[in-house]
Amino acid sequence: MLDFNALISTTPDTLTFNEQVLKQINSQIANQLNTGILVLDADFNIVIWNRFLQVHTDKVAENTLGQSIFSAFPELPQRWLSRKFSSVLQLNTPSFCSWEQRHHLFELPHTRPITTDSEFMAQNCTFLPIETDCKGKHICILIEDVTDVCHYQTQLQKTLAKLAQISRIDGLTQIYNRRHWQESLEQEYAKSRRHGKQLSLVMLDLDHFKLLNDNYGHQCGDMVLIEVSALISSLLRVEDVFGRYGGEEFAIILPETSLSGAIGLAQRICNSIAATALTYKDQTLKVTVSLGVAQLSAEEVNYEELITQSDNALYQAKALGRNQVCSTACSTSLVID
Amino acid sequence: MSEFHLTEDQQDCLQELINIAMGQASDQLARYLDTFVYLKVPNIESVDAKELMHTLSQQKNTMAVVSQGFFGYEGIRGEALLVYQEEDSGRIADLLGYEPDELSQDEQLIDISSILTTTFLNVFARQIDNQMSYNAPKLLPSAKDNLSEHLQQMPFSWDLALKVNINYQVTDYSFNCNMILLIPETAITNIKDVLDRILAEF
Amino acid sequence: MSPSVLICDDSNMARKQVLRSLPEQWKSSVQTATNGAEALTILRDNSIEVLFLDLTMPGIDGIGVLQGIQKLNLNCSVFVISADVQPEMQSKVKALGAKEFLRKPVKPDDLINHLQQHGLL
Repeated sequence: MLDFNALISTTPDTLTFNEQVLKQINSQIANQLNTGILVLDADFNIVIWNRFLQVHTDKVAENTLGQSIFSAFPELPQRWLSRKFSSVLQLNTPSFCSWEQRHHLFELPHTRPITTDSEFMAQNCTFLPIETDCKGKHICILIEDVTDVCHYQTQLQKTLAKLAQISRIDGLTQIYNRRHWQESLEQEYAKSRRHGKQLSLVMLDLDHFKLLNDNYGHQCGDMVLIEVSALISSLLRVEDVFGRYGGEEFAIILPETSLSGAIGLAQRICNSIAATALTYKDQTLKVTVSLGVAQLSAEEVNYEELITQSDNALYQAKALGRNQVCSTACSTSLVID
Repeated sequence: MSEFHLTEDQQDCLQELINIAMGQASDQLARYLDTFVYLKVPNIESVDAKELMHTLSQQKNTMAVVSQGFFGYEGIRGEALLVYQEEDSGRIADLLGYEPDELSQDEQLIDISSILTTTFLNVFARQIDNQMSYNAPKLLPSAKDNLSEHLQQMPFSWDLALKVNINYQVTDYSFNCNMILLIPETAITNIKDVLDRILAEF
Repeated sequence: MSPSVLICDDSNMARKQVLRSLPEQWKSSVQTATNGAEALTILRDNSIEVLFLDLTMPGIDGIGVLQGIQKLNLNCSVFVISADVQPEMQSKVKALGAKEFLRKPVKPDDLINHLQQHGLL
């Protein structure tokens, strides 16, 4: 370990020697730092650069030192950066430039070519005002290589986005899961109440699904759930929210849709499923669904009540013999038993 | 009253130091921006953590928050938050003398924040014979939830926050933002020592 | 001989700072005010010869006091001592009759110099 205190002596003779040693130490540190150092005079000419920049650029000292930073590095945004430099000189305050807003200032290559998106080193740059005994102020530019940070942060963002997506999706059918569907309903309910817009709901259930499972096995049941989900998805608008509510129960939120519009859609779903022949291990399966439709009225005080309404209608469709659509507008006499 | 509360004299002393710092910072800014900067008396309040969290979450149209750490000698350090409302952000590029297409809105906010924070704190530090260094300013993700999350995740517990309402009016339009200085416990004690030292001179 | 002096500033510390900078023989005849309204009352009811005036104060500010002095036609030497140091403000207060503009925090030597320049010492 170096004892810095030992280097600073009070006697004038040794002081000059030790200043020399300190200077050597400082310059070696500056040259071995893994940070780019660039010092500019008040006219933005380069007066010092360290080894980091020499090895990361193809430039030679003769063509760089004494040059304007903007001719040595023509890639720099001159107008904006000069304004930033003058704030450093005039206000005597540091200034910063982060990779998060501007990926890089200097076009320097990095050593991780495969894993990253950019061919240039991501940088955090700091501009510091420097005052010396010599007349005129200087600006010190520190250039940190943050390619790793940038890379991992980007990966993290991608992963988080993917996770957020996964947490909303039902693994088997690839439509929304119950949790996300219910959150969407809560939002749509609030929106509809706020703006006085129509909102309808369709709940549907596969008919005799237990029998299908018993006769053909659960793999067949899964296949049917997947096929039916895909078929229904193809009949919906982008703004409709389709989710798996429970085992073989599905639900569709229809924003800005009247009851008759919702009944029309439910009927199309009912018809096309009944008309589509599904095959499992060379056997043709007959699959049908029952659907219950409800529209938000002034009555409901929360979104759960809307679910109850369409659930009741679905129960009625089942009671009336399945493979059909019932709505809250249908006769309720059959629901009593 | 906690031990971190400032006495009346300390509060008065701090207010005066901040007024002077703000005045000189405005003068420097006016020269840099080449315009007249009209400065209202900065309104300084010290608020406790819970109160601040509440105030900030009440602000409906908080658009952006820029945070920047500062470090001085004698353990004087903290974090400066600049809080902008939606309507304040329109013409920052004009103010800074940039062409709007040269930089993004985020970068404009960061630039102006850094200039306000460092200019002000440099003058403040000079008055108490101190010197500051700074972290790079960081734009917190918008929305108030993120702000209270940020405050909760601070590495230090801070019992006192100084809220300085800055209102810069620049010749032909006004520009408002709130500067909030979050000061950790230990730094408050240090600041109080410095204030007492200044007060003792009278 | 010591003139009657008024120091007007909302900050206790700032008032003390001015007081400390005054010539020793003046210190016995100093009154203080914490805002513009208070200052104007004192100025109206007493014959104040020298006023040290802050600009940014709640209620009636320093500019208001300067305007009040002009309106009341008072003969009083005003030294503005302010944190608002922009040149525009300096010319504004001089146009309103202030003798001198001093930057905060006020320095004793500076203050004495200005008092001498204006023949008050």
